[in-house]
Amino acid sequence: MRELWNRLRHFRRRAEFNTELGEEIRCHLEMRADELEAEGLPRKEALLRAKREFGPAARVQEDSRSAWQFQWIEDLAGDLRYAYRAFRHSPGFAAAAIFSLALGTGANTTVFTLTDQLLVNRPSASHPENIVTMRIGGSSHAEMREYRMMRDAGVFDGVAGMHEESEVNWRTAGETRRLRIIHVTDNFFDVTGTPVMLGRGIATGETNTVVLHYAFWKANFGGDPSIVGRTMVLDGRPLTVVGVLPEKHHTLVGFGFAPELYAATTDEGERVKLVVRLPQGVTAAEALERLKAVCARIDKVYPPEGSPRARYTSVEAVTGTAWLTGRKAMPFVAFFGLLMIVATLVLLVACANVASLHLARAVSRRQELSVRLALGAGRGRIVRQLLAESLLLAGIGTLVGVALTMLLTKLLDGTPLPLPIPVRLSLTTDWQLFGYALMVAAGAALVSGVMPALAVTRMNPGGGLKAEERSVGGGWWSLRNVVVATQLAVTSVLLVTGFLFLRNLSQSSSMSPGFDADHTIWTTMRLVPERYDTPETRIAITERALETVRQQPGIESAALAEVIPLNDSRSIGTRMITDLNAQGQEIHAYMNVVTPDYFRTIGIPLLEGRDFNDRDVKGSGVVILNEKMAKSLFGARSAVGHTIRWKMENSNSTLSVVGVVKSSKYSTLGEDEAAAMYEPYRQSSRYGTTLHMLARTGLETGAVSRELRGTLLQVDDTAAVESRPMKTALAFAFLPSRVGAALLGSMGGLGLLLASLGLYGVLAYAVSRRVREIGLRMALGASPGNVLSMVLRQSFALIAAGAGTGLLIALIVTQPLTMFLVPGLSPNDAVSYIAVALLLAMVGAVASSGPALRAVRIDPATALRHD
Amino acid sequence: MPKPDQMMSEFLPGTLAMLILRVLSRGPLHGYAIAKRVRERSHEALDIEDGSLYPALNRLLVRGWLKAEWGISENNRKARFYQLTPAGRAQLEVESHEFDRLVNAIQLVMKTA
Repeated sequence: MRELWNRLRHFRRRAEFNTELGEEIRCHLEMRADELEAEGLPRKEALLRAKREFGPAARVQEDSRSAWQFQWIEDLAGDLRYAYRAFRHSPGFAAAAIFSLALGTGANTTVFTLTDQLLVNRPSASHPENIVTMRIGGSSHAEMREYRMMRDAGVFDGVAGMHEESEVNWRTAGETRRLRIIHVTDNFFDVTGTPVMLGRGIATGETNTVVLHYAFWKANFGGDPSIVGRTMVLDGRPLTVVGVLPEKHHTLVGFGFAPELYAATTDEGERVKLVVRLPQGVTAAEALERLKAVCARIDKVYPPEGSPRARYTSVEAVTGTAWLTGRKAMPFVAFFGLLMIVATLVLLVACANVASLHLARAVSRRQELSVRLALGAGRGRIVRQLLAESLLLAGIGTLVGVALTMLLTKLLDGTPLPLPIPVRLSLTTDWQLFGYALMVAAGAALVSGVMPALAVTRMNPGGGLKAEERSVGGGWWSLRNVVVATQLAVTSVLLVTGFLFLRNLSQSSSMSPGFDADHTIWTTMRLVPERYDTPETRIAITERALETVRQQPGIESAALAEVIPLNDSRSIGTRMITDLNAQGQEIHAYMNVVTPDYFRTIGIPLLEGRDFNDRDVKGSGVVILNEKMAKSLFGARSAVGHTIRWKMENSNSTLSVVGVVKSSKYSTLGEDEAAAMYEPYRQSSRYGTTLHMLARTGLETGAVSRELRGTLLQVDDTAAVESRPMKTALAFAFLPSRVGAALLGSMGGLGLLLASLGLYGVLAYAVSRRVREIGLRMALGASPGNVLSMVLRQSFALIAAGAGTGLLIALIVTQPLTMFLVPGLSPNDAVSYIAVALLLAMVGAVASSGPALRAVRIDPATALRHD
Repeated sequence: MPKPDQMMSEFLPGTLAMLILRVLSRGPLHGYAIAKRVRERSHEALDIEDGSLYPALNRLLVRGWLKAEWGISENNRKARFYQLTPAGRAQLEVESHEFDRLVNAIQLVMKTA
């Protein structure tokens, strides 16, 4: 310990040490000279003799210095210097290796940065680990009156509310712009402790203040600090700007979600997500207990419509591992995990490229290495030297890779993504990235360096000294062949993965939910229950609202639905009995209750039979099935005219099938074709206080949806009306598969490039090593055709062995990818496998025929002298 | 013919360090004086090569057994004086004890075998 400290201290003052040591030696010599002088020698003579006796001073200095130094660092520096000189002699090799490693590590660190920023949620709030979001009564957003009771219950350290997906119209300079905002309750900034860069947050009691996002402030107000105190007109109301958020603001929602501003909510009909600060030390389980107690109290004041609010409650963390393992983040964790694996595979292929380059180069460096071995260098010394070379390469490669990453993140940082929801990447490169890069570099150096170093030093120095080893081909199991085959195998796995995702990308851009989301508008009207407390009044307002929407100019058709597909779903699993099958059949089916024109509005084709009409009322007993359900119940026969029946708690009516519609997606885009059935709205008489209306228009959906909201508010201005294009509403459903396909597809493309390069290099090298052998064969009378076919035959045998193994492995390891692939694309996708096999064969043919052609074209006499 | 200190370190590794520690146990000395003292006390039988003296001194400094200070020599020259630290003194104890044991053992073999 003390010794280490001494050494470190020495390191700080080594210049001083050198002069001191020099001084000390000079002093030693003079003392000796004094003595000799006293014995009678002249001064000059005495000094010379003292010096002679002392020996080489430089060596004494060197030896004394080495007592203090960290030997291995000095050795490493020496090895690195030597490696640098070696690379200067073969810049092509160095460039190829650095290029490979830079791409590999660059991909890896970029994925790391993305994962770190998107997956690890770090909301801008004080002590976010104590903040949770809560659900009561099964809904993600609570009513304002529920929020107020929660807030006043006094069992938590603070309860605020937010509505993350609100929109407002902003009147500025004679035009109206739609802004994406987060509506928050007045205490939101107090409860969360969200930091503000300029001004202050929204304060308790305020209803007319807004806080701007940094990017919005920069873009629209040029970063003018005098914005604080100015007025913005939002939805016709003048609001005062009180603050601006810092540049790196992360919302509680995570995933880079970045709306343009926060505004205090004023709408009594708005629903808010409950944001709760837990008292220090209260666990999620304890919080849930307290929440249930509060729910019981709310139930007493506002009796619930269905089951008690406490039945469906949850507490979810907004940060840390609790958030990561939460329901919401799980698919993202899986996705980024896969992304990391693929990025590592890309890096592995890059390392394999470099390893085979090392190996190829080491074979041609045999003479040099043999000389060093023969001169007495230990095998360990040579291995160390070769490892230093890989370390230097990996270091430079990683540096370039990190530089690429930083460039890329710089470009991506703060850029709003072209998505219908406001997502802005906020990427920073920090010490974590560098730590990670260091790890990657060390790993790459080891993986790419150890095997070639060990292999090369195993050779016999005598053989290497005799000019070039005059080997012919080598055995089938020669190291080179094994390396090539192994790399081919890894490459095929990566290629298959890459191809699958490239196919996924092309398919997902044309992926369809089975209905038309481009021309539909989804409007939700939430009525105040006290105003419509009888079924009659509810039916009346529902009919009136629907009729109003139908009359709206630009609306082609409109319909009501109990659930909107891909946003919410209802399903049953039951034994379904038909008039043809009294035994019944277990079936899981999605259910929806819709009005006439639903299918036309949402764009689901009617395959046979008829749509619902106004005469389908209570007791009519009609149902429309989707294609899948019709097929599974009635096979090839037409379902129209037949009846179905299933056991239910209260009713046991028989429904007759009047129509069959095309299957579409109900719960998720990724689901397999599922059974579904529709009942008419009037028949099921499920008239509640929340209406989901769909409207079809040929006009621009954004504008029409805003007009619809205004019209419906005229029908009942106490209702909360939300209206958005279906496309916007589905954006969340499409997002993961599209982003995933893009990221993994580009990763696969990168792997493809690297693997092809590596394969080409290895095969071309393997053939070029055989130039002399080829010359010999030709001298002995082989025709160019013979030679070419021999080389190609052997290359293909190698490719077949490597790629065959690789494809088999790929078949197994790609199975878990199913969850990321669009429906209809299986991990066993034949197109991908055939494409990979063809590509490998092509690269192999080009790689081996080039050098072989060159070999057969040259004069056999020259070829024989070739080394 | 090998120099005495080479012989020493070959046959009895570490003896050079032990000798330096022993010579310094009487008080601080500079490098030249250390070599001279060893030569004198061994009646010219042991001659520390100048080339090994300074590296050895530095190794002892690194271990913390010696400390060095600049001073003025008996004939008025600026010289670096080496001095035992408490750790160095303890080390000398250990080494001379070990050395005695070793010499006794060798003598035992030489006389009785």
